[in-house]
Amino acid sequence: MKNEKIEKKYTPEIPTKEIEELRNSIKTASQKIMAENIERMKKTDPNRPEAMKYFDEIANLFGKRPTEILAEKEKGKKVIGYMCLFAPTELILAAGAIPVRVNSGWYDASKVGDRVVPVEVCPAIRSTIGAEMIGLSPFLELSDALISVLTCDGMTKLSEILSDYKTVWGMNIPRVKDSVHSLRFWNDEIKLMKAQIEEFTGNKITRKSLKEAIEQTQKATKAFRRLQDLRKGQPVIMGRDAMLVNQAYLWDDKVRWTEKTEALCDELEKRIQRKDWVCSPETPRVLVTGTPMFWPDNWKLPTLVEEANPKGIIVADELCSGERILNDPVGVDEWTMDDMLNAIGERYLMSSTCPCFTSSDGNEDRINWLINKVKEWNVQGVIYYVVRGCMLYGMEYNRIKKALDKINIPAYYLDTEYTREDVGQMKTRVEAFLEMLTARTEI
Amino acid sequence: MITVGMDLGTQRVKAVVLKDDAVISRGQAFSGFDPTKAAEEAVNEALKDADLKISDVVYFAATGSAMEMAPYSNGTVSMMGADAKAGVYLFPKARTIIDVGAEEARAVKCDEKAVMVDFIVNERCAAGAGTFIEAMARALEVKLEEMGPLSLKAERASSINASCVIFGESDVVSLIHRQESKPEIARAVFDAMADRISSMVNRLGINPDVVLIGGVAKDVGFVASLKRKLGVDVLIPDFPDYAGALGAALTAATRAKEGKK
Repeated sequence: MKNEKIEKKYTPEIPTKEIEELRNSIKTASQKIMAENIERMKKTDPNRPEAMKYFDEIANLFGKRPTEILAEKEKGKKVIGYMCLFAPTELILAAGAIPVRVNSGWYDASKVGDRVVPVEVCPAIRSTIGAEMIGLSPFLELSDALISVLTCDGMTKLSEILSDYKTVWGMNIPRVKDSVHSLRFWNDEIKLMKAQIEEFTGNKITRKSLKEAIEQTQKATKAFRRLQDLRKGQPVIMGRDAMLVNQAYLWDDKVRWTEKTEALCDELEKRIQRKDWVCSPETPRVLVTGTPMFWPDNWKLPTLVEEANPKGIIVADELCSGERILNDPVGVDEWTMDDMLNAIGERYLMSSTCPCFTSSDGNEDRINWLINKVKEWNVQGVIYYVVRGCMLYGMEYNRIKKALDKINIPAYYLDTEYTREDVGQMKTRVEAFLEMLTARTEI
Repeated sequence: MITVGMDLGTQRVKAVVLKDDAVISRGQAFSGFDPTKAAEEAVNEALKDADLKISDVVYFAATGSAMEMAPYSNGTVSMMGADAKAGVYLFPKARTIIDVGAEEARAVKCDEKAVMVDFIVNERCAAGAGTFIEAMARALEVKLEEMGPLSLKAERASSINASCVIFGESDVVSLIHRQESKPEIARAVFDAMADRISSMVNRLGINPDVVLIGGVAKDVGFVASLKRKLGVDVLIPDFPDYAGALGAALTAATRAKEGKK
């Protein structure tokens, strides 16, 4: 439901014909890339779990899922898109609306975004702008309103720019996590968002509907964590497969996703009993952290790691396009409306390790989190991935590197762009890093 | 035991023949459009020089950006891995190896067994690598090999910005317009490059001894600037441009001994 009468304060008018040409060419290329990504995942693990078939299908961003959402919309449901994980999806679900995350992983769309913002801006932001300008992303198109949490500079201005096309609600997130005012302030934002969503959807969020939404999300978290935990031991699933499952939650039906993920875990547990490993247990175990990697185009780092010579396996990540999606459940003491809302506020603010935060001790939460993850998941090396223009992740690297040095875990800073052309250079670096990890274990 | 290392670089392919851990010959060719053919030429030149045939070689190992296109190859080793091997072979106390080639500069930290422990690569920009000197030599209308000796004649330092080859070139043009002398501009070019590379190396951290390899290590102007910027002594082997190929040949020897094919 695009309001054509919105005055465009940022974006240029593009002739309809050009929009269609751009959309069609990027969409065609994207369908090829999605199919190729999945083919390559199958090639890496010829004995891929049966349960992955479902996720391969749901991974098609132009496939079944947008059609389903459209059908729901026709029955009167609202769709609320969001860019950052701080958007309280429980509130959206409790109002009978559909939450979808809409950040763009399309490389070519970033070139369209270049018409509005400088090329120095983070490509994930430029690409999301570009996707909106040409109507590329089905989920962005289906969104009736967007929640934009004002985290990094890119996200803050993105919300203004997208206001050229849709209703955007900005959520003001405090950036000093441990200040006494912060949580109080943020909890008020959550309450305002509740009222906003209620008014927009026309549905009251009741104690019952919110409790159900929280419980449903807790179930999803349980399934999510079960999958992540299975990656602690000998390798039973390739990192890319797990990362795709993680990311599919962002657009899939939440109940069905939970069932399918539990089914995948059942299958993996049987494989563990049979000691049916997905690759040699000697394969270097890698954790990736940094700028989010959005399906489908921005899949190049996981692909490089798991197809490299020597090969690596991604056993964990610290990404808001991965682990952070569902790692933390909302913890409620008393199921009163007030308690539930405060618990939601606390979950979204306090559990995040995004570098947009600081505290009296910097982003120490992220370091503690990474070190625990490295230890528990037996990680041998960390790839710190940053796209050009992603200032916060870039700036936090040295602190992370020093902390990892102390526990004798090598880290490598890999910088890239939303482009396919640098795969050769990236490969050289990734392979050297994996070679180094292999040499370390041989000694 | 004869092993061969091939380094398929962006400008040249280098080959080194190793007999029982000693270099017995070298060969090189321009990479051009067909790195595979260039590598064949380089290898055959080196083998001919040593009076050997392809069949005498127990193991061929390849490195360099086009390593996957290498002929005869029994295996590959990363450029950083090859740097570490060659650096410690040439100077047993080497712990930081800086490699500056035509298109890329990198630094590798390693241990006493020549196993790399960390590395860093310049940020996808030619301004910190050999092609930068070439472009600047063109702007100054001097031959590439004259740039180094010319820069040593500079009486004072002026500066240009080496954030990018293109901007660097326009900075050089402004110095020309300001009627700075050629030696001073040449020195400014090397200083700018050395600035970029030394800040990259400092980000990695310097463990002595520091070794400089790669084709650009042959340039006296660059070496003087880098030593000034790093403030530590920098060791340079004979034939620094063959170090990558040497590292590959050493890796080949290790693998052949371990029976890895």
